[in-house]
Amino acid sequence: MVTAVPQPSPTGSTELLSGLRSRFPEDILAIHPFPGLLGRVEVRPGGILPICRYLRDEQTFGHCAMVGGVDWRETREVVYHLWSDDRKAYLELSLKVLADDPHVESVAGVWQGANWHEREAWDLLGIRFDHHPDLRRLFLPEGYEFHPLLKTFELHEPELLEVKTRHE
Amino acid sequence: MGLSLPSKVLPASPAAGAPGPSEPGVPFSEIETVRAKEFIPPAKEALRDMLARKGTDPLIQPVFNWAGRNSLFPLHWGLACCAIEFAAAFGARWDAERFGIVPRSSPRQCDLMIVNGTVTWKVAHKLITLFEQMPEPKWVIAMGNCATGGGPFRSAYSVVPGVDKLVPVDVYIAGCPPRPEAMLDGILRLEHLIQERRE
Repeated sequence: MVTAVPQPSPTGSTELLSGLRSRFPEDILAIHPFPGLLGRVEVRPGGILPICRYLRDEQTFGHCAMVGGVDWRETREVVYHLWSDDRKAYLELSLKVLADDPHVESVAGVWQGANWHEREAWDLLGIRFDHHPDLRRLFLPEGYEFHPLLKTFELHEPELLEVKTRHE
Repeated sequence: MGLSLPSKVLPASPAAGAPGPSEPGVPFSEIETVRAKEFIPPAKEALRDMLARKGTDPLIQPVFNWAGRNSLFPLHWGLACCAIEFAAAFGARWDAERFGIVPRSSPRQCDLMIVNGTVTWKVAHKLITLFEQMPEPKWVIAMGNCATGGGPFRSAYSVVPGVDKLVPVDVYIAGCPPRPEAMLDGILRLEHLIQERRE
């Protein structure tokens, strides 16, 4: 049974997006419409923290549903899905960082639920989140030397995969 | 001190022409009383003497093996769907406790580790720690394809390809997951291994 299908164009999206663009003219790079979302907003990596604080405090986005990553080989993309209980709709933020030194400011101080999502993105995709309270690996042991969801990671023969299981 | 039975423990076998069981003789209850009174003290001393020997003594080791194989205590440590079969084996239908197998929750009380499920690298050092916390002598059963060789996740980045990379395994049980009969068969094979153990 399908319940609560998001509407194709949630109401109030134009006011929200135009307000975002006028408030952060430097940090908003592009805004794309997307069915089921209020919009997909591309932001500059340096401006993610004030935008997130503004969305939480003044635009009722109280829930960070997901922080994920995408490996585009030259760049890596970080995707945030924010849920607003008042609007009953999602907003997507995304930003791209260079693959040489992928790091972005952590939003775990804005939404505490982002803590483990960012640990997962660090674990599997190697994106560092600055000023994260506890940036350890989530699924793999400490001492594992790969970020296995990257395109450059090749599946090893299992006998060749040497993992340090003891801290001695 | 060896086991020396008193000479009058057993009643003399009735010779030909002696009164049979139907005829009046020594009452049966009296015989039992005499036997117990005379048998228990020397048997106690002999048992104490046997237990004081080393477990690897060729005279005493069969006794230890017999006692160990009849009271295998597996560690209650489910990892994946094989643990459901493990649980079913202790239910009313298969009733693994009739073989003396009682799952315990503390590794200090166990002598058998049944690895039932997919072991990831994240949990690997905890498995080694639990294995090292178990007192000697101890045995390991790899239950299911995942614990035996990684199963369908063999080439995954996060899965240990066979638990024998971490701990010494005595018996492998195939199946995905193995049925409770297969698990009981593996445990009975382990009991044969224990019975034949010589050091």
